[in-house]
Amino acid sequence: MTLSINSMSRSFAFVFVLGFFLLSLSSQTFAAAVSLENSRPRVAVYIPQNLSGRPVPLRELREALSTSIASSGIPVLDEASLNRFMARHRIRYSGGIDRESASFLKNEEKIDAVLLTTIELYDENYPPKIGILSRLVSTAEGMEILWMESVALAGDDSPGILGLGLISDPAALRKKAVQSLVDSLKLHLSGEKAETKPVNRRYAPRYFYRADGFPGDRKYTVGVVPFLNASDRKYAGEIIVLHFLTELARDGRFTVIEPGVARQQLLNMRIIMAEGMTLLDADHITLSLGADLVFSGNVLVYEDFSGPEGAPKIDFSVVAIERMTKKMVLSSKSYNRGDDGVFFFDRGKVNTAGRLASFMVRSLVGEVAQAGKEREGFSELPYSPGPAK
Amino acid sequence: MKRICICLRNIILTAMFVSLASCAGGGGTDKFRDSNMDFGSIQNVAVLPFVNLSRDQQAGDRVRDVFVTALLATGGIYVIPTGEVSRGIGLAGMANAGAPSTAEIKKLAPLVKADAIISGVVREYGEVRAGSSVANVISVSLQMAEVQSGRVVWSATSTKGGIGLKDRLLGGGGEPLNKITEEAIRDLINQLYE
Repeated sequence: MTLSINSMSRSFAFVFVLGFFLLSLSSQTFAAAVSLENSRPRVAVYIPQNLSGRPVPLRELREALSTSIASSGIPVLDEASLNRFMARHRIRYSGGIDRESASFLKNEEKIDAVLLTTIELYDENYPPKIGILSRLVSTAEGMEILWMESVALAGDDSPGILGLGLISDPAALRKKAVQSLVDSLKLHLSGEKAETKPVNRRYAPRYFYRADGFPGDRKYTVGVVPFLNASDRKYAGEIIVLHFLTELARDGRFTVIEPGVARQQLLNMRIIMAEGMTLLDADHITLSLGADLVFSGNVLVYEDFSGPEGAPKIDFSVVAIERMTKKMVLSSKSYNRGDDGVFFFDRGKVNTAGRLASFMVRSLVGEVAQAGKEREGFSELPYSPGPAK
Repeated sequence: MKRICICLRNIILTAMFVSLASCAGGGGTDKFRDSNMDFGSIQNVAVLPFVNLSRDQQAGDRVRDVFVTALLATGGIYVIPTGEVSRGIGLAGMANAGAPSTAEIKKLAPLVKADAIISGVVREYGEVRAGSSVANVISVSLQMAEVQSGRVVWSATSTKGGIGLKDRLLGGGGEPLNKITEEAIRDLINQLYE
């Protein structure tokens, strides 16, 4: 009897332990499934915005992006449903998303994030060139930019031995660019951080001012408004903003506000900055966006070139005004050519303005982040009357 | 006879030196600094749009853009944002913002909260040719007006680039425009800080 009771209690204990083990295993599996579900949000892929100033096969690009993303296991809203949604809400602007549209997408189509893509360069002449900026924006309350990346390629970027690496087919270059973006997105969603190569010093700003104590340890919420475009390139002001957003989002020390939200606020408040941002504008923008800092600037040169000969050129200046102090905390002037520092066989040459802009802005954001680092400058202003000369 | 020969040789050498020196490009600077002004009291400066006398329509904006950032980068002076200055110009009703009158300076300064107003003229910006030689040249004049009285307390000029002896003999097109702009602005700021 005693034996049978012992044996029963052992069996019960075994079943209990087994049950507990299976339960814990299933809960772990469930947690993993939830985590996987969270890391693979349901995505709507908007039709790309064309800022290249030339005809671009936008439908093909959207299709390529959707297919590549879907093939990597991320659920994508089908084109017909997206078109119906956009028609229903009369959404025509595909370069950004405002709060209202994001809320509709989340509630009506159960979309977690929107993939917004901008084509900054598309040239089918030999060597073909392409420049794409893409970002994944959450439709949740904060509308956080979850991921942002830019890719700018030219067919002769890597000619290799006997020109075997040259790409003459625009479709092949397009495919390569799309694949590069999708790989980066997959890497981000898998939780890994993409390795960022350091930028050469030649892309550093020529003049750089940063207020004392900025940025410190604080995490700033940043809005970037379109730069004044004094260049011959159409949309250069909008393109440079996207490069800033990419690098600020990549840096991780800034919370970046979706430019579609900023655009909607500027439209609502009828703010037109014809000659640069005033303090009043900065005040309105930061308050309406809930930003600590607003970036603005001026693009004087933004030049790409067609064909194999030439070099892109970029010249821009940027200022950042802080909400609390109402003062400029950052001012910078940068200009570069794609062949700066290139002496032999075009080694190190940058063939697209998009890539050059990316390097220049990354270098600038790197300078901002290096708190306490002093740049070589001029001596202090004299505090006593100087002699007459 | 020997003295005449030596004298003649000296004259020829001097003439050669003067002609070579006149061929050389490069900079020239002129400046004025009010001896009674305490420049240390100037904290905030508004930089007005520069008058452009060159052929490049954007030269004034380009040079001003570099100057504003370079002046801020010194860390000694705070420069009012250019958008705010434009707003002030509109509110003050300045007809010619490049060449403000004393009354206009006095009117503008409190609107933008500036201690001094800097105005400027871009006299040369771009390519200059002499025969078959080509080079870039920039010439900029700046003046700073104190806002209490509206009088000019500092004025300076800088010219950089141009066709030098090397350009005449070897060609090459001279220095890039951005580089000589940087040099000229650095020179002007050095003159302000001297």
